[in-house]
Amino acid sequence: MRRFTALLLGICLAATTAFGGGYQVSLHSIRNIGMGLIGTSLTYDASSFFYNPGAAAFVKERFSISGGVSLLMARTTFQPKDVMGQYKTENIINTPLYFYFGFKPFEDLSIGLAVNTPYGNKLSWGDTWQGRFLIQNLSFKAITVQPSFSYKIKDVFSFGMGLVVAIGNVELNKALPLEGQNGAEGKVNIKGNTYNVGFNGGILVRPVKGLNIGVDYRSRINMVVDNADATFTVPVSMKTNFPDQKVATSLPLPANLDFGISYEIKEKFLIGINLCYVFWGTYDTLIFDFKTKTPALDKTYAPAMYTNKLIPRIGAQYRVNDIVTVRLGGYYDPTPVPDDHLNPQTPSMNQIGLTAGLSVFPIKGLSIDAAFLYVMGLEREGTYSPENFSGTYKTSVYIPGFGLTYNF
Amino acid sequence: MKKLLYILFSIVILAGCEPKIDEFSPDPGAANFTTYVAIGNSLTAGFTDGALYTSGQENSYPNMLAEQFKLVGGGDFNQPYINTENGVGIVVTPGKGIYLVTKMILKLVPDKDCSGQPIGTVSLKPEYIVPNPDQATLAGQLSARPTDPGPYNNMGVPGMNVKELFIPGYGSPYGNPFFARFASGIYSTVFQDAVAQNPTFFSLWIGNNDVLTSALAGTDALITPVDTFALYYNIAVLGLVNATSAPKGVLANIPDVTSIPFFTTISAQLPYDNVVLNAEQAAGLNFLYTMYGHPDIVWKEGKNPFVITTTTGDWVQMEPEDLFLLTLPTDSIKCRGMGIADPVLKRPYPIPGMFVLQKSEQTNIQNAILAFNQIIANAAQTNGLAFADMHTYMKSFAAGMVFDGIKMNTRFVSGGLFSTDGVHLCPRGYAVAANHFIDAINGQYASKIPYVDITKYPGLKFP
Repeated sequence: MRRFTALLLGICLAATTAFGGGYQVSLHSIRNIGMGLIGTSLTYDASSFFYNPGAAAFVKERFSISGGVSLLMARTTFQPKDVMGQYKTENIINTPLYFYFGFKPFEDLSIGLAVNTPYGNKLSWGDTWQGRFLIQNLSFKAITVQPSFSYKIKDVFSFGMGLVVAIGNVELNKALPLEGQNGAEGKVNIKGNTYNVGFNGGILVRPVKGLNIGVDYRSRINMVVDNADATFTVPVSMKTNFPDQKVATSLPLPANLDFGISYEIKEKFLIGINLCYVFWGTYDTLIFDFKTKTPALDKTYAPAMYTNKLIPRIGAQYRVNDIVTVRLGGYYDPTPVPDDHLNPQTPSMNQIGLTAGLSVFPIKGLSIDAAFLYVMGLEREGTYSPENFSGTYKTSVYIPGFGLTYNF
Repeated sequence: MKKLLYILFSIVILAGCEPKIDEFSPDPGAANFTTYVAIGNSLTAGFTDGALYTSGQENSYPNMLAEQFKLVGGGDFNQPYINTENGVGIVVTPGKGIYLVTKMILKLVPDKDCSGQPIGTVSLKPEYIVPNPDQATLAGQLSARPTDPGPYNNMGVPGMNVKELFIPGYGSPYGNPFFARFASGIYSTVFQDAVAQNPTFFSLWIGNNDVLTSALAGTDALITPVDTFALYYNIAVLGLVNATSAPKGVLANIPDVTSIPFFTTISAQLPYDNVVLNAEQAAGLNFLYTMYGHPDIVWKEGKNPFVITTTTGDWVQMEPEDLFLLTLPTDSIKCRGMGIADPVLKRPYPIPGMFVLQKSEQTNIQNAILAFNQIIANAAQTNGLAFADMHTYMKSFAAGMVFDGIKMNTRFVSGGLFSTDGVHLCPRGYAVAANHFIDAINGQYASKIPYVDITKYPGLKFP
């Protein structure tokens, strides 16, 4: 049976890539993934520096180190509206990583570092599909590095804050409807990188033993790319209209307001909920401002029209014994993208996430963590009206993940 | 417990490995697409870039429709392919007769000054792929019968008007060479050859040449009289629906001919009153025009309209709404005083009327189109046929349309809708037209025919 499952997993590994409502990736701790991505009110390890810097001071041990990787395998199917044939995104495995370190110089203060990839999107529809004039492939990734502190006042309240440095890179390719006399279509490649800063702050309240209430706010970070390279492959007669050049663009990483509440009974069983409010409304229009303007090439505006969304999450953890802990969870991630702005660059839809996880403690303080997240995208018909591109999308995502945590 | 978990995981993995969406499921509805026959003119034949050529025919809208019809029971679709990729087109010049040409392609052409010297810049222009072609070769290609013996589902004949559907001998050497090359006999008519195939479904897009032939000649004198049009159009439709095979079908009306690039491109660049004179020049021209018997034409200091000849041979100054044709010899305007006076021969040099469509001529053409389109709409209504309103649809392209990220409008070359001849559509334009036919057919017959993927068809090709 085990082998059978492994085999199936293998098949899907070969068959799968992109994830998230919009382009937010919530894979930041294998332990939290296992229990529905709740984390704002949890105080088990240094991953709190990301989920809620306020909670980190409640981690019991002096040192906490946690690291892990998720194998994100997403696949989207597309049926163009009223046209025969379907298209699928190519098999790419994304591997969002995280690393956290926490240290308590004295009992009530914890300082730490969080490194992870909270935003990203990577997908490829291929070079010849029907939507190639909107997108062929896209890769966008933001890594954040967050030095932080957390301070506890008695065993009732703590607060914390971190400076978030985001480093991002983006590359996209799309076809241009400009055929050469050999029939080859034109193409544009845009490639750039940038960085910017934001902050992450939160509080944790523990009114009675076992009950945690956490609130966390991660600020918006606007990833401004001033000098991306735009490279055009076009027929010779069109080259003066499409000179290779620099282009400016920007993509906002939306702010998150998280509220979490969890209750632990006798350090054995924990249940928690999380409400995550994502300020997607900040993503209004994607602008490309070409430095060298020509009659064919001006500042382009691609409306996105995202709207703010609330993600409810629930999760539970059960300590079977000193060695094994199991977890379950789920969440509902509503799409921030309106029906008339559904773009194949980010084929977003309402998603249901089901999670399961396991930690094994071979020695006290050290755990080997594993989690599996299955995301079921709910089939969605929509149009990207600025480009008149319509069809039905459906995504499913498989995310096995592995990590290590050591508290001492 | 563990075993249960494995089973659970396996099911989840299997269920979702490939996200499944229901495929489009085509349905013929109330129509029968077994034998589709397309009747029409150059647009139906797949004529593009000023010529008939093999790949152009492959990208004809009836061929695209037939591909879609195959999904709902449609059979093979034979086209009378011409065996040349360079193509054959016919240019009729008054007084000079018939001249055969190849298709046009876009070329980067060196710009020259009035003495013929290159000035170091290049312009993107449509030019014949073979300049000064051997006439006998093209005549041979044009008259050669298609390899496929027929009959031909695509009965599109470039140049044909409504009445010519019924003219015996239209397929003879004295008729239309584009029909002669595939007519079943020299006395057969286009209509007979179409009906003889016992179509179960037909498309009829005819009538453009009843106005366009006149417009392309810069006149309103060759417009088909409305009663003639009504007579033959209704004979055609009644003849089809009452044929023994009792076909269903779709009628398409006549697009606005004066908004096509052939009539809009030059006027957008060359104002009608681009003759700027000083007082002395104006006086000189007034003297010259009086000397040649046209004191009614008055030149003044500042901007003046060009002088043109009318269909009746009068000389008049242009009005703001008059349109230059794409064939206007702009070199003669620039270098030889056309529209003003010939500086060498020192005599008035009006622009020949064949290069200008005057406001009054446009009005008469528009009125004819309105009348013809009323006849077409009535025929569709009366006979319960699908109706593709190409007139309204093509108008929506003036402001620009976008499909799957491809922007299209009616501008010459850059618009991506019309081919290099400024009159006929490019393959992608024909694909857009095909989808409008499909809309009309699905609407009338409750069929579910999928659209063609327009991104599969090329637009203009650039050097």
